[in-house]
Amino acid sequence: MCLLALCAAALSPLLSCQHARGGAIGSRKLVILGIDGLDPDLLTKFMAEGKMPNFARLATQGSFRRLTTSIPPQSPVAWSNLITGMNAGGHGIFDFIHRDPKTFQLYFSTSRVEGPKHSFHLGSWVIPLGSGTAEQLRHGKAFWEILDEQSVPNYVYRIPANFPPIAAKGKTLSGMGTPDLRGTYGTFTFYTDDPTAAVGAVEGGEVVQIDVKNNRVATNLIGPDNVFRKNSPPSTEPFTVDVDPLEPVARIGVQDQQFVLKEGEWSGWVSVEFQLMPVFGNLIGNVKGICRFYLKQTHPRFQLYVSPINIDPENPALPISTPSSYSRALAKQIGEFHTQGIAEDTKALTDGVLDDKEYLEQARTVLAEHRRAFDAEFPKFHQGLFFFYFSSLDLNAHMMWRLTDPQSPTYDAELAAQYGTALEGFYEQIDQVLGEVMPKVDDNTTLVVLSDHGFAPYRHSFNLNTWLLNNGYIARKEGASGDASEPFADVDWSRTRAYGLGLNGLYLNVRGREREGIVEPGAQADALLREIRQKLLEVRDPKDGSQVITRIDLASEAYQGPYARTGPDALVGYNRGYRAGWKTILGAFPAEVLEDNTNAWSGDHCIDFTKVPGVLLSNRKIEAQAPALTDIAPTILSEFGIAKTKDMMGQSVFQPR
Amino acid sequence: MAITGQAVAIATFKVFLLTSPLAIVVVLSLVVGLLMVVLFGYTSDQKAIGIAKDQLKAQLLAVRLYRDQVPVVMDSYGKILRGTGRYLKLAFKPLLYVIIPVTLLMVQIDRYLGATPIPANTPFLLTVYLAGPSTTGQTSGSGALNDVTLDLPPEIAMTAPPVHIPAGNEIVWRLVGSRDGKYEVKIAAGGQSAAKVVCVGSGLVRISTVRLRGHFWERMFSSAEPVLPENSLIEFISINYPDRNVEVAGYGMNWIWLFFILSMVAGFIFKELLGIKI
Repeated sequence: MCLLALCAAALSPLLSCQHARGGAIGSRKLVILGIDGLDPDLLTKFMAEGKMPNFARLATQGSFRRLTTSIPPQSPVAWSNLITGMNAGGHGIFDFIHRDPKTFQLYFSTSRVEGPKHSFHLGSWVIPLGSGTAEQLRHGKAFWEILDEQSVPNYVYRIPANFPPIAAKGKTLSGMGTPDLRGTYGTFTFYTDDPTAAVGAVEGGEVVQIDVKNNRVATNLIGPDNVFRKNSPPSTEPFTVDVDPLEPVARIGVQDQQFVLKEGEWSGWVSVEFQLMPVFGNLIGNVKGICRFYLKQTHPRFQLYVSPINIDPENPALPISTPSSYSRALAKQIGEFHTQGIAEDTKALTDGVLDDKEYLEQARTVLAEHRRAFDAEFPKFHQGLFFFYFSSLDLNAHMMWRLTDPQSPTYDAELAAQYGTALEGFYEQIDQVLGEVMPKVDDNTTLVVLSDHGFAPYRHSFNLNTWLLNNGYIARKEGASGDASEPFADVDWSRTRAYGLGLNGLYLNVRGREREGIVEPGAQADALLREIRQKLLEVRDPKDGSQVITRIDLASEAYQGPYARTGPDALVGYNRGYRAGWKTILGAFPAEVLEDNTNAWSGDHCIDFTKVPGVLLSNRKIEAQAPALTDIAPTILSEFGIAKTKDMMGQSVFQPR
Repeated sequence: MAITGQAVAIATFKVFLLTSPLAIVVVLSLVVGLLMVVLFGYTSDQKAIGIAKDQLKAQLLAVRLYRDQVPVVMDSYGKILRGTGRYLKLAFKPLLYVIIPVTLLMVQIDRYLGATPIPANTPFLLTVYLAGPSTTGQTSGSGALNDVTLDLPPEIAMTAPPVHIPAGNEIVWRLVGSRDGKYEVKIAAGGQSAAKVVCVGSGLVRISTVRLRGHFWERMFSSAEPVLPENSLIEFISINYPDRNVEVAGYGMNWIWLFFILSMVAGFIFKELLGIKI
């Protein structure tokens, strides 16, 4: 008894200290709305026009600043800056795409999903010995990990660059970077009996030729690669469509589910189980996904769109939430939802599979799902941090910019009259969300609304690799010509000094790093980089003399941290209106250096980072005059009285409490 | 005040028992487990079963004790085989007494727990299958399909044109119910009319997923509506009611699996408590 009393006395200062900290944290609340791509200029315009009254009120009563974005200003990089308080040199995410310098294999920068390392073959079957892995490639400590350590409750919804989600005490759901069930950023399928359709793989999807026999279509949904079969062919599940002989309506049957769609209608979420093994599949092999159907046309030609097969939140085949049961619980509460990181099917629009109206219906569904999740989760928030991410302004600015920009090569006055205000509509919806939050903000709550970057028109493509080729920095093998489907096909590496990869990356072919590197690291590499930088900054658009590239940041100057030298050697910052061309990003060589961008993807931000800042609004006074994304993690920690880690570059944007 | 609180608690518990599928399955499993054991006890020759089981145990013991004496072990295996046959013969009749009523009970319970009513404002499919000419003597095919009409109550609306599927002799309507309730939709085909009950709402109601012509055994197990006339052009009418899952620790499962597990566990417990040999 005496011993117990002594222990209690010894521990009492510690206990009281913890209680004090717990009490302080308990009274503080921080709400962050992370709005991808919320542009300060558009926001200012819409506020002035009275279309975003809640943002206007927040800006007037609190603070509104431009938020310096990341180098380069790409979402995975920018959100990683925000998450870790470090730049790409610290967290190691430089682009959507990275390359292995030894093999030139390209891979998604934020995560890696691999099958089991060992297996044995039994006829045409492959028996795995062990399980596969999903690995997050972002380095550095996330702000919510630090909050967890300090017992600050937190909720983090769909923050990008968090797949698979890192271990956390709070509820988190992975966002951008989460693949579909096929392991891609989203692969739709389009079924048609049109004999003139280009069948096969298209960018972001697959076109499948089908036959309509006796008013019936019998075909397959295409699922994940079957790792239990030799050469891993894609798994498939049959489905049928019975088309009414006269009326524009059809019945679709998938496994044990049936539903009727009229022409121009979307289905709800449909569950599909892909059988990877005929025996014991339920126990070890089968994977479940969800998809939506859109009956585009029944007569005279049959056209059916099937969305990318998303990981089923009720039965996730890969980890997408913490705790792992959270995605199931959320789905039970709000219904099934997109789990794929980039949920808006932008590729279906750029491929012409969906038109603007159809794309917008799909995109509005995505925002409606986010709002349902928000409405379900925000009322449960009582202490700590609540972080909620919205993707809609980013993806829809990418796709709808052309209808607001008469200078866009794809501007269409008729479409602009119909859908020119679509982007504005998404901004207004985000304002409504803010309107739901503001009345619940009390004196102990700090409200922050921020975006990772702004937006700019994307009218012209600059083909960096073609420019490097034309200027003698890349050499191709004898006889090589035209575009090639493989990255850097026919490149003679023994005579190549530099190459472009990703949206902003410029790499040198460095000896000892690249497989066949020829540029000596050190002085030779530095001189070469400065030479290329000088020349690139002199590039002018022959049409009007505009400067195409306004800024090039050298990695050695822009990045700090252990990974600073693992990414590009320089970051190409394009002027507003320009961006890296679609093919040059993946190492191809289109004929022209400068081309008009005729893609529906007509707004972008992967340019000179000073030209696309994000926004930072708060109900508190923002002291920092030039806040940056790397300041956000220290700000979050500071709000709960936690010191920033030594790796964090920024500092709190507020006056310390 | 305390009495009022207690009364409210009891009332809440009663409502829970009457409306929660999980509570119903748990209570039912316990009761059925008990009844199965008691019924087995009454309808079986307990003394003979006891002797048969004892003999089996003795032979199993002999196999263990004399495992180095092959003739003894082989003799014991033979006796175990014969003893098992004798035991199964003794258990067969009482098992029949147990299985038949339990199966009938499960069929009835499944009407309530197997599916949920259609939620209001949620689309559902009503499918009518027409009989082939060989079975009715009447004409079917796409012409007959085009003549099938639907008469809906005001609370049920059609949300898409019907899908005619000549290859399957089917016609499918997508409908939606605006208010909770039990409604009758009328289908006219070949000069005859048939009705199908549609349950809209939530909670526990008796649901019939299909109305059939003939198909005795299928009707026994899946229909809770009167048989369609033998000369009807309609072979059957079905509604795709959603399956009902009973939630246990966050996981949904068909009630039969839970019932099977719990009634077995209950049976083993009651067997020991009542000293009944199974």
